[in-house]
Amino acid sequence: MNRKLMVLSKYVAFARISATHGRYDRSELYGRMAFFVVILGVFSSLWGATREAGLAIVADPKSLVWYLASTEWILLSAPLMHVDVQEALRRGDVAYEVGRPVSYVGATFAQGLGFVGSRSPLLAATAFLCAFAFTGWVPPWRALAAVVLFGSVAIALLTALHLAIGLVAFWIGEVTPVFWVWQKLLFVFGGLMLPIRLYPPIMQRLAAFTPFPDILAGPASFVLDGEAVAGRVLAVRLAMWCVATTAVVQWLYTRARRALTVNGG
Amino acid sequence: MPDNPAVELRELTKSFRVRRATGRGIAARLRDVVAPQTHAVVAVDRLSFSVRAGERVAFIGPNGAGKSTTLKILAGILHPDAGTVRVLGLVPSHERYALAFRIGTVFGQRSQLWYQLPPRDTFALLGRVYEMDATEHRRRIDMLVALFELAPLVDTPVRQLSLGERMRCEIAASLLHAPQLLFLDEPTIGLDVSAKATIRELLRTESDRQGVTLLLTSHDTGDIERVCDRVIVIHRGRLLWDGTLADLRRSYLTAKRITLWTEAERLDVGKPGVRVISSHSYRTELEVDAEMTSLGSVVDAALRQSAIRDLTVEDAPLDVVIRAMYADADAGGES
Repeated sequence: MNRKLMVLSKYVAFARISATHGRYDRSELYGRMAFFVVILGVFSSLWGATREAGLAIVADPKSLVWYLASTEWILLSAPLMHVDVQEALRRGDVAYEVGRPVSYVGATFAQGLGFVGSRSPLLAATAFLCAFAFTGWVPPWRALAAVVLFGSVAIALLTALHLAIGLVAFWIGEVTPVFWVWQKLLFVFGGLMLPIRLYPPIMQRLAAFTPFPDILAGPASFVLDGEAVAGRVLAVRLAMWCVATTAVVQWLYTRARRALTVNGG
Repeated sequence: MPDNPAVELRELTKSFRVRRATGRGIAARLRDVVAPQTHAVVAVDRLSFSVRAGERVAFIGPNGAGKSTTLKILAGILHPDAGTVRVLGLVPSHERYALAFRIGTVFGQRSQLWYQLPPRDTFALLGRVYEMDATEHRRRIDMLVALFELAPLVDTPVRQLSLGERMRCEIAASLLHAPQLLFLDEPTIGLDVSAKATIRELLRTESDRQGVTLLLTSHDTGDIERVCDRVIVIHRGRLLWDGTLADLRRSYLTAKRITLWTEAERLDVGKPGVRVISSHSYRTELEVDAEMTSLGSVVDAALRQSAIRDLTVEDAPLDVVIRAMYADADAGGES
C-alpha cells in the first residue's frame, strides 16, 4: 500500500471505531434529540404567537423554525472534544498515547469525526421531522441539500475548534471557562436563534471577522426564503477558516508536545 | 555492558520545573501568574543500567522514585536533560516513531480497549496503527487468542468482561504487533489471586517463546518473583540495586525465620540476635539474625529444651527485603 494511504488508513480506522463505539453509547444522543423537540416546539409557538399578535417578523415563522433546526443540528452534532482532551490530560493518558506511531491530535480529530458520523444523521432526521411536524412545511430540497453539505463542513470545523480549545488545557488545565466564553460568542455572533441580519449593523460587522456566522448562520440561511448567502462565498470562507483552524491546532499541538516532552504530561 | 542490549542508559538525568507559590493574598497570586517562580525537581539522577535482549527485569522503587519518568524516557515520550539512552539500538527522543513499532506497553490502570466494543475491534484498529500486513495481523490474532485462551472473550464487549479477562485482552493487544520490548506498569493491579497467576504465567510464556524483553514495574512482589529474573531498584532517581533476586535477598537480609513445633509447650531460646515473633502452645516462631547467631546454634538450644516435631526455615518475604532496602536508603539520604 502507498505510504500516504497507509497513514491515512490509520485515521480512517480511528474514525470508524469511534463511529461504531458511538452507536453503542446512545444516552447523550437521546438527550439531544429530546432537546430538539422541546426547543423547536417552544420557538415555533413563540414565533406563531408573535405573528398572531401583529408584531413585525422579518422572515416567515416557518422558515425561522427550519433555520433554528439547522443551526441546532450543526451545534448539537459537534462533539465536545475539549472535554475529551482535558480529561485525557488529567488522567495522564495523553503522555502514553503520544507514544504510539500515530499523531495524537490527528487520531483525536478522526475519532471526533467518527462520532459525528454516528450521531449527525440521526440528529438531522430528528431536526427534519420536528421542523416538519411543527410547521407542516418543507423548504425546497435544493436548500436542504445545501444545509447538509455546508453544515457538514461546519460541523467538522466546529469539531476542530473544540479540539483547539481542548489543547489549551496543556497550559491552563481547566478549559471549561474558555469553552463557556467561546460558546456564548458562538451563540451570539453565529446567529444561533435569529438570522444575523436582524442584528445591529455594528454587531453584523463584528461577526463578519469571526468564524461564527460561517459555522451556524451561513449553512442555515439556505432555508430562509431569499436570504441564502452565495454558496461560493460561503465555501471560500469555510475553506479559509478550516485552513486557519488547522494551522492553529497544529501550532498549539507542537507547543504542547514540546511542553510534554520537556516537562511531562 | 552487554553486546546488544535491548535497553542501555548511561548517566541519564531528568528534572522538572515545578511552580512555587510565593505567598498568600491576591497580589502574590497575581505575581505567581505573571512571573511564576519555579524550582527544579530532580526525577532521575545519573541513572545507568542496561538490559539484555530477552531478559525479564523488575524495575522497582517507592512512589516518586523516578520509575514512570524513566519508562517515559525509554518510550521517547519524555526527553532527557543529560545522559544517553538507547532502546533496541534507537535513540528514543529522536526516533520515537520508529521505536513505537518495536515496543509495547501494558498499563494496569489504563486501558487501550474500547469499552463498548469487543476486543476484536481494538485489535483491528491496532493492526492499522502498527501498519500490519492483513495476513500477519490475522495470524497474530489467532496465535494470541489461542495462547491467551481468548476465544470466548474476543467477540464479547469489553464492558462485560471481568478485570482478569480484560487484562488478558490488554496484554494480547500490546503483543499484537510482536514488540521486541514490553513495558509493563502494574499489570496485575486489582486482580484476584488466580487471575494474577494466569497473567504472570502468560508473560513468562510469551517472553520465553518470542524472546520478548520485559521491563516490569510493580509494587506487587509476586509479580517480581514470578515473572522476573533480575531486579533493578531505584530510589530518588538513583540506582540502588541491580542484580538477581537471590542476591538481593542475600545482601539485604541477614535474618531468617525459624518456626519450631515442639513437644514442650513453650520454648525460651535466650540468645543474642534471636527475636520471638510469636509463641503459641507447642509452636514458636523466631527471627534469627544470622550475622550474630548461627541457625544451628539456635536449633541446638531448642533441642536442649525439648524434642522437635517439625521445623521450617524461611527467608523473609520479598516485601520485607524491599522495605529494608528503602529504609536503608532513606537513612543514608538523611544522614
